[in-house]
Formats: sequence, C-alpha cells, structure tokens
Amino acid sequence: MLKKDLISKSPVSKTIGIENLKQGRFGAVLSRAGVGKTSFLVQIALTQLLSDKKILHISLDESIEKINLRYNDAYTNLVDSIGYVDPQKAVRLWEDINLNKVGISYNESTFDTEKIKDYLKSFKKADLALPSTMIIDGLNFDKDVSGILTELEDLNHEFSIFIWFSMKTHREEKLSQDGYPIQLDAHKESFDKAIVLQPIEDKIEAVILKDGDKTDQRYRLDPATMMIVEE
Amino acid sequence: MIRDLKRVRNIGISAHIDSGKTTLTERILFYTDKIHKINEVRGKDGVGAVMDSMELERERGITIASAATYCEWNTHNINIIDTPGHVDFTVEVERSLRVLDGVVLVLCSVSGVQSQSITVDQQMKRYKVPCIAFVNKCDRSGANPAKVSRQLRDKLGHNSILMQLPIGLEDKHEGVVDLVAMKAYYFEGDNGENIVTKDIPAEMMDEAQTAREEMIDAVSLFSDDLTDAILEEKIITEELIMTAVRNGTITRQMTPVFLGSAYKNKAVQPLLNAVISYLPSPLDIENEALDMDNNGESVILESSFDKPTVALAFKLEDGQYGQLTYIRVYQGCINKGDTLVNSRDGRKFRVGRLIRMHSSQTEDVEAIPAGHIGAMFGVDCASGDTFVSPTINYSLIAMHIMEPVISLSIVPKDNKAQINMSKALNRFTKEDPTFKTYVDHETGDTIIQGMGELHLEVYVERMKREYGAEVDTGKPRVAYRETITKKAVFNYTHKKQTGGAGQYGRVAGFMEPNDEEFEFVNKITGGRIPTQYIPACKQGFEGCMAKGPKLEFPVTGIKITIDDGAFHAVDSSEMAFKSAARGAFLEAYAKAKPVIKEPIMKVVIETPNEFQGSCMGLINQRRGIIQGSQEEGVMSVVESQVPLSDMFGFSTVLRSATQGKAQFTMEFSTYKQVPQSIAEEIAKRKLEEKTQKK
Repeated sequence: MLKKDLISKSPVSKTIGIENLKQGRFGAVLSRAGVGKTSFLVQIALTQLLSDKKILHISLDESIEKINLRYNDAYTNLVDSIGYVDPQKAVRLWEDINLNKVGISYNESTFDTEKIKDYLKSFKKADLALPSTMIIDGLNFDKDVSGILTELEDLNHEFSIFIWFSMKTHREEKLSQDGYPIQLDAHKESFDKAIVLQPIEDKIEAVILKDGDKTDQRYRLDPATMMIVEE
Repeated sequence: MIRDLKRVRNIGISAHIDSGKTTLTERILFYTDKIHKINEVRGKDGVGAVMDSMELERERGITIASAATYCEWNTHNINIIDTPGHVDFTVEVERSLRVLDGVVLVLCSVSGVQSQSITVDQQMKRYKVPCIAFVNKCDRSGANPAKVSRQLRDKLGHNSILMQLPIGLEDKHEGVVDLVAMKAYYFEGDNGENIVTKDIPAEMMDEAQTAREEMIDAVSLFSDDLTDAILEEKIITEELIMTAVRNGTITRQMTPVFLGSAYKNKAVQPLLNAVISYLPSPLDIENEALDMDNNGESVILESSFDKPTVALAFKLEDGQYGQLTYIRVYQGCINKGDTLVNSRDGRKFRVGRLIRMHSSQTEDVEAIPAGHIGAMFGVDCASGDTFVSPTINYSLIAMHIMEPVISLSIVPKDNKAQINMSKALNRFTKEDPTFKTYVDHETGDTIIQGMGELHLEVYVERMKREYGAEVDTGKPRVAYRETITKKAVFNYTHKKQTGGAGQYGRVAGFMEPNDEEFEFVNKITGGRIPTQYIPACKQGFEGCMAKGPKLEFPVTGIKITIDDGAFHAVDSSEMAFKSAARGAFLEAYAKAKPVIKEPIMKVVIETPNEFQGSCMGLINQRRGIIQGSQEEGVMSVVESQVPLSDMFGFSTVLRSATQGKAQFTMEFSTYKQVPQSIAEEIAKRKLEEKTQKK
C-alpha cells in the first residue's frame, strides 16, 4: 500500500508515467549544471525500486557514499510528500527496496561497458532477475560518446535493460532545428525519451522534449525536493 | 613504573591488515631503545618482528594475539598494545580498546580508509577512545596522504586535520614538514635514528604556510586562548597550538593526521612526540564502574593510588608459569602480596608475581599502580573479570562480545592427540571468548566455534604446533538459528498419574517475536501458579531455546508471557511445571511460524579495476547483495552482504577469477531469515545426517 502511495506521489509518475518509463532503449534528463539532473534520475530509480525492480546506478563523478545519500534524501522527500507515514514502516520499506539497488562509482576515464556486461552476465548465470533500469550519471556528452552508446545499445538489447542518462547542457548553446539541445540532437535516434529541467522563478520546470506524442508538456517541481508543485 | 600519571600513555595501534602496524611498533621499540635491531615482519632473515611472538604469526606475517609492551620516550612511559588487523580476531581489538586511553590509527597512504579501519573506528566510538592518525607507507607508489585525510572525513566522519606535509612522496619520500614548528625533518642513519632539522624547502614554503593557516584555523575551535591570539594578531606560539590540538583530540572532536613510512624509517619519532603531546594520559580519561552493592549505580573511578583497587582482566594467556592475566589498573594500586576479590564470583585471592610485558619476555615489578597495564601470574579467572579491594564491590562494564558464527567438527587422530586436544581447547576457550567448544552428544564429535574460517584454522594449527594434537577437521558449518515470526498462544496441561504422587501443572500465555535473545514475563495474578513454581516455568521455557523444535538449531528472539495456569495441592511440583512449560513451548512454537536464520557477512573485495565486474558477479552467484562499488585509482572496492554459508572456499574462487590480484575481508554483520528454498535444503541435509547417524 505504502509503495503504491509513494509511486503515485513521485514526480516521475506525473511527468513520464510509470508504465511508460521503460519502453524503448534510452532516456535522458537534460539540464544545466546544478539544476537537478541526478535528483530526478534518482526519483526515476526510486519508482523502479518501489515496483520491486532492481536498478543499477552508475556514477562517473560521485562517490558511492554520495550516491547512497542521494537515495536516502530522495526517499525521505517522497515519504514526506504523502503526509504522515509510520516511521518504522517507512524505514522497513526502505531497507527492503534498498537491497535492489546497486551503486557503482567509476572514474570517467576508466569507464568500460565490458565490466557492466560481466556483471550483468552473472545475473543470467545465477538465474537471477536482471536489473530493469540502469542509470548512467555524469557521462560527458560534449565529447564523442557514440562508441559507448553503441556498446550500451548492445547491453540494452542483450539484457533488456532501459538506460537513463544525465546530459549536461550549457547556457550559451543554441538549440538544434528540432528544438533539441545539441548534446541530445547528435544521438536523437537512440533516445526514446528526454526531459529537460530548467529553473523558472523559484521553481524548476520539467519539460517533456521527447516521449512519443507526449511532447512539450510542462510541470513545476520544487527545487529542494523535486516533488511536483500542485498549482 | 612512573607514578606521575601525566607522564603515562596507554595506547593501541590499530588498523586494517597489512597497513604496517607491527612494522610501526617495531620502529617505536627501536627508537625507544627497547630493542637494538629491527627485524621485519616478513624479513628475509626469518626472525620476524618482536611483537609477533607466536611462531605461526611470524610465519604468516600476521598478528593474531595482541601483544603488550611498554617503552619510554621523553621521560614518558608508553604502554602499547599491538592489535591484530584481521577481522576474525576482532575480539582482540575489542578487548584492547576497552583498556586503552588512546589509539594510533594507522592507515595506508595508498589504500586509505579500508573496511577494517571502519570496524576499528566503530569500536573506538563505542569505547570513546580518542585517536590520532598515522598515514603510513608514504614511500609506496600511488601514495596520497591528503586523499587519506579526506577519506577520514568522508568515510569515518572524523574532523581530520593534517599536522604535517610530506617532503616528496613515493620513492622520493624524504621526510616531513611539521606545521606547528614550521620546520622540516629528515631522517638519516641506517635506521633513520638521526633526526635532522632544517628549514622548510623554499619550494614548499607557500604550501606549508597555507596548510598551517588552515590547520590553525581549524584547531582554534578548541582553545579560546588561541582564538584570542589570532584575533588580537599576537604571536601564535607552538604551545598555544599544541594545547588546542590536545583539547580537540582528547574530546574526540578532531583527529590530527601525521604521516611517514615506518618501513623506510621516516617520521616515526615525530609520531611518538605526538602520542605524548596529544593523546590523553590516564588522568584525562573518565572511567566508570558499577557499584554492585548499590544497585549497580555507576561510579567514577579516580586514578589515585590511595583509593581501593579496581582492575580489569582483559586478556588471559597460558605461560610457562601458569596462567598469565593481563590487567589494567583503574584505581588504587596492586602490590605483590595484596588480597583482591574477583567481583564476578566473590572469590578472594592473593597477588603473587607481578610483571610488565615486553612481547613474550617479562620483567618483574613490585606493584602496578592505577593507570598502568601489567600482568599477574597464577590467578584463576576469566577474561573480563573485575578485581577489587575487599572493601568495595565494583564491576567494570563488560566488553562487547560477539557470538560465534561458524563451527567445525574436529576428531583427534590418536589417543595422545585426544588428551592434548582437550588441554589445548581448555586454554583457547579461556583466552578467547569468541572461541567456543562443545561435544555433540549425538555424534560424539568435538565441535569448535569461532568468528570465521581463518579464526578456526589458526586454532587447529596452534593445537598441532603448540600441543602436538593432530586433528581431522570436518566441513565448516554455519551457525544457523531459529526464531518465530508471529505471536502464538499456548495453554498446556501436564498431567501424569502413574501410581504414587502424580504430576500436574498448567501454563497458559503467549510467545511473540522479540529483539532480545530471550525474555520471560510473568503476568500471573491471584496465585494461579504459586510463586515458587514461576522460576521452574522460566527454566522450562529457557531449556527449549538451546535446540529448536524445527531443525534443532538454537532458538533466539522470543518473548514468553505467562498469564494463566493451574496447580494441584499435592501433585504439582517444580518438575511438573518445567514439563508443562516445555509442552507449552512446543505447542505455541509450531503455530508461531518458525523460520531459520543464517549469519550474513559483510564482504569487502578490493580488486584491480579490470576485475570489478567479475568480482561483482561472484557475489551475485553467492546470494549476495552488492551495496556499492567504488573505483579508487587503479583499485575498485566492492562492498556486499553475503550469507556465510555461501562464502566457504571463496578465497580460492576469488584468486582464480582475478589472477590472485584481489583480496577480501569478511566480518559478521547480522542474522537474516533464510529463503524458503534454502531452508528446505537445510532441512533435507539435516534429515540425511540423522539417518546416517542411525
């Protein structure tokens, strides 16, 4: 019950939709530095954990302690958003779902999809449920990442794992003809979903850039908690 | 022994395996003239370090038993306990910390804060022991003391403050810059015994100035005088800084960080100075005891020699002159010929030989005053006992001792081995509270229990070497537990009428899951069960805990409440109520959804980056849960929780999967319920064993 309540409050279910979340291959959360890409990605991962799915969170710029802290914070925010919850119940649920999360912190220079592949293969070998979603946070899309993306597409194909990326954009850059930031434009074919976060007044606006027909929908988020602001 | 306690330090040296604790201790003993030649832990001469006195320790290059020693430095007495780094011997660390006033936390400058450092840190927190950090191995390639200091902050939450800067790192490591004195120290001579003080190299001056400012800024929090001096722009003296650092360290609000390389004889002497300057003397530490004559009220002990004596036996060892008991005296003074009382059992004894230890050699002394560590011969006691003067009845708070998680059956190879084995087991169980032994009545096998495979392996090896007892070992077994998952009621009548006096007793109530091992609550009103039979009821229930009805594993986590019952004026007896309680337990237990629990271990693998994926795979195949993985330079650390039953033989598997380049540590974390499929397997195995026995 608590799980359902939490999922329904998640900013992800209101913007992208839970069912819709894993259809396709790649998804991207775009914004300038410091707006909340990682926090939003963590919310995406949380909805998966709350649906009893496994997730793999790979960070190329944050330590494992920091990743774990982010999840703790995000969960607390989510719990706080539904009003009173028996604290013991909330903690027990967290202990349960947290077991399905694996955080890995890599140096960007040594990031190698082979290692992830080795790891994912071991799930098959041990006949375990595979993670449904992988978060890759901190990959630098200003560089040429087409090689890595091809390898990750193979992973997506082999292990049916949906991959969400963070994509850093820059203030001074213009949008492409299709209205995409250039980081996304270069790989737009691979991405089925994209959501842009931008600061508007004292809130954050989440704009659906790409998601089938559902585009250009806008939602307001609280910058501190990433929860939807009801207007 | 020095009686001015301001000049006494009781310190420990703790760290992760292979961080160089024993090497550091060896250097300290050399510089303080306790030994005259340095022997390396794994030296080519095969002598081994002085502190590793056990033959096995020298051979394996690990420290098993913590050795105690003392030395003198700048007119101060330093009692040192060198503790083992391997987690299987963690009780040794735990016991040492209980009696120490301060710790030097040794960290490797390449690997930084490792899993055992985290465990040691938790233990230090538990006993509120102040510490200073020593970043060792600055001569190694990849050395980065600043990173290690940051990790102390991030991973352990210490307010770590660098007190020195390295002059060169890796193979260019020459010495250190002292940020308090603003001098550069170099270490010359064959063993680095000549300290050469020079000006700070010009190219390091700016860096040193900035680091000093940062340091002073950080430590000014702990001294108003220093803050005033800064605000009033007065000259900041060394003394002002040192007092501030000392205040911060003793109150556990900061951890000063020193660096060097013990192996290359760099900067050990400044560390000794720091021990004296910053770690507390026995006078700075408040120790508590419980006054057993006064409902266990806590009393503060005073390190005064005239007060009644209070001392703690923290470690036992069987020496050539009988049992050697290591003690720390907290109050008063133990003199040869004194009469003391063991507060656990009230037994009086006379103090015979008193000694002070230097690894395996001893030095006779007349008295051990408060604040000191020493040992006495010929006292029959257990580890953790409190010794007091006959006028008082204090008990020092007991140490945190963990239950063993793994067991092994041993069978002596011949008759001689049989006799020697029991001698050896008798001694080991007295020395080490986490090592237990019993005879399985069904198989007649002797079972030994401990904290890990290595822990038991070492004891089997010691049995062979020290006692000539060769034994065959069975497969290691996991210490499973049983518990219940829901509340269940019982109402059981025990009735027997077989001529003569009969047996009658009825108990009713309920059992429910509980955090504590066993709890018994008596809610009987109106004398439905007479008071004299209540203890018998409790005993009846408690007796069922040793062997669970489900699969005969020990039962834990049960609360029993009795609220009703009946008795018979003639036929009721203690015996009858015991039997009634047993029947009630069995009745309720079956309804309370019993489950099997297994020990889960925290497993940390350190592996070169290229094998990270396969190491995580290995954990996956073992029902393990990966908590995270972090790349640190060329190495990756994988943290996970894995059931102990799936960890047997893991070292071989890990070696072959990583070309022998990865290593792992494992320690007990918690008990968790076994998944249904595994529980069925265990039940099947248990059944097979039973049929085999028949």
